[in-house]
Amino acid sequence: MASHIVENLKREIENFKADIKAEKVGKVVEVFDGIAKVSGLSEVKSQEMLKFEGGEAGVAFNLEEDTVGVIVLDDFSKINEGDTVTATGKILEVPVGSTLLGRAVNALGVAIDGASPIKTDMAYPIEKIAPGVITRLSVSEPVATGIKVIDATIPIGRGQRELIIGDRQTGKTAIAVDTILNQKGQDMICVYVSISQKDSKLRKIQARLEAGGAMEYTVIVSAGASEPAPLSYLVPYTGVAIAEYFMDQGKDVLIIYDDLSKHAIAYREISLLLRRPPGREAYPGDVFYLHSRLLERACRRSKDYGGGSITALPIIETQAGDISAYIPTNVISITDGQIFLETDLFYKGIRPAVNVGLSVSRVGGAAQIKAMKKVAGTLKLDLAQYRELEAFTQFGSDLDDATKKQLERGKRAVEVLKQTQYSPVSLENQVVVLYALTQGYMDDVAIEKIKEFEEKFAEYADRNAKKFLTQIRENKMWEESGEAELKKAIQDFKTSWPAQKK
Amino acid sequence: MAKISNQDIAKSIYRTLKDKTGSAYSLALKNIVNFLARRRLFSQAPDILKKLEKIIDEENNAIRVKISSVKPLGTHLKHDLIKALERRYQAKEIIFTENIDEKLISGLKFEVGDEIVDLSIKNKIKKLAEHLQ
Repeated sequence: MASHIVENLKREIENFKADIKAEKVGKVVEVFDGIAKVSGLSEVKSQEMLKFEGGEAGVAFNLEEDTVGVIVLDDFSKINEGDTVTATGKILEVPVGSTLLGRAVNALGVAIDGASPIKTDMAYPIEKIAPGVITRLSVSEPVATGIKVIDATIPIGRGQRELIIGDRQTGKTAIAVDTILNQKGQDMICVYVSISQKDSKLRKIQARLEAGGAMEYTVIVSAGASEPAPLSYLVPYTGVAIAEYFMDQGKDVLIIYDDLSKHAIAYREISLLLRRPPGREAYPGDVFYLHSRLLERACRRSKDYGGGSITALPIIETQAGDISAYIPTNVISITDGQIFLETDLFYKGIRPAVNVGLSVSRVGGAAQIKAMKKVAGTLKLDLAQYRELEAFTQFGSDLDDATKKQLERGKRAVEVLKQTQYSPVSLENQVVVLYALTQGYMDDVAIEKIKEFEEKFAEYADRNAKKFLTQIRENKMWEESGEAELKKAIQDFKTSWPAQKK
Repeated sequence: MAKISNQDIAKSIYRTLKDKTGSAYSLALKNIVNFLARRRLFSQAPDILKKLEKIIDEENNAIRVKISSVKPLGTHLKHDLIKALERRYQAKEIIFTENIDEKLISGLKFEVGDEIVDLSIKNKIKKLAEHLQ
């Protein structure tokens, strides 16, 4: 065995030809906070990968008159003044391949989950121009999140970019994780990009995804809070490069950026260190382009150009509900809608704490299935009227019967849309429950019993309204026969339900 | 107004002094020193000088070569090297700096501006190590 290794090594050395040519090199002039200023390197390209003497990697970021501003992607403390820097001639790229599924990698595509190194045959550049107009298709296929309030009132389509925005601790990541969990069996690859998050939080998410069997179709890409800012800046681009690989295989991909406010902060840090001029809130002038070029890479491609799609769910954390700050307004204007989460609702017990009034989905409506569109149309109206009337009731004046009825309906709608974490509901079951609600079958159920009613009824419908459920699953819409069966099931259930009897 | 860079200053100094001789040259030199003093640019003087040197080299079509070797070079070899470098860089003049570096093990290393041709054994071993990895 040992002689075999020696023999192999001997052959390798014998066949080795040192390819020595003139190299353009630079010298480190100064190095600080993850940034190095390098002189020389006269032919270096912007975004080109560089190698330092000790093997550390860097990216040429600022091309100035006599120096190059380099962001260092490894431990910068090992780089000394005067070290030589060589250009690699390559734009920064990351290894991609189906072996990444189920793994956690860092911004450079290196495994960080403690398992074996990842072997791939291909590498994708992390910066790429987004697909052009001709190659795109409009959004028409839904992404089922399994969250009732989203699937019904703010539907998301494949290829859409839907922002999840809200204060800290309002359940932004919970929505993202629930959506990943619900993609089981939906032919979707998920990429979860964690930007400057606590390692403990990432570990928790990974454990949750593993427990839900979701890691089989998920890749985690992470730059932790303890890693230097350049890696946090690069990691979303790494994530989308991986997503693009799967899209090029014709797959539908869901990518989550958790979160882009920290990404903007990392970019601000790099920019200020490179002495780029600060603008509003000290962010550099191109912070809009930073996010627009990233999110523009989400798309739905036509079959002629390989098919596949990338759906992006960026997350933005606001401070004290201020959505008019710089980064939130930027990302709101880039995306095709937002899911707005509120602290007040969260503490009122309305979870997911989605503010249905402020949340929109600009293109997702086209992707909603017909049956859901039918039930959700009246639901949205019920909720809007409820919100309006709720303000009036605060005055305590006498209300007429019609108004009272609307209020009661609204309260029940809010109750039905509440959902605990990690409990996604299938689309058919959502339609069944919302049908019962919007048709008024829940009007005589006490509000505190609504959740119980919903749960028991969904189980009952599974057994007794099979025709209705199959029709929705297969044709995306019910037929008269199915509807009659469901109506009968609702009535039967209501008479047999013990809580209703008393 | 845009900030004046050291490169701009070096260029202007070169142009001012280019065709001057005798008293005109001394006067121009004095003016340059005054200008640097007035603008408080003495701290930048080493950098400006370096840039000026580069501009003069470019104008004279001269290149500066730093050659590192383990032992001092023989005159014969030096002559051949100058010929080869003149041909490669199409330069009229080669300004030589010799450097003894025993870490190279054997062979030579040229540095011309930011270009390096490393023909040392040390570099070959490094390349082999990278290849075997």
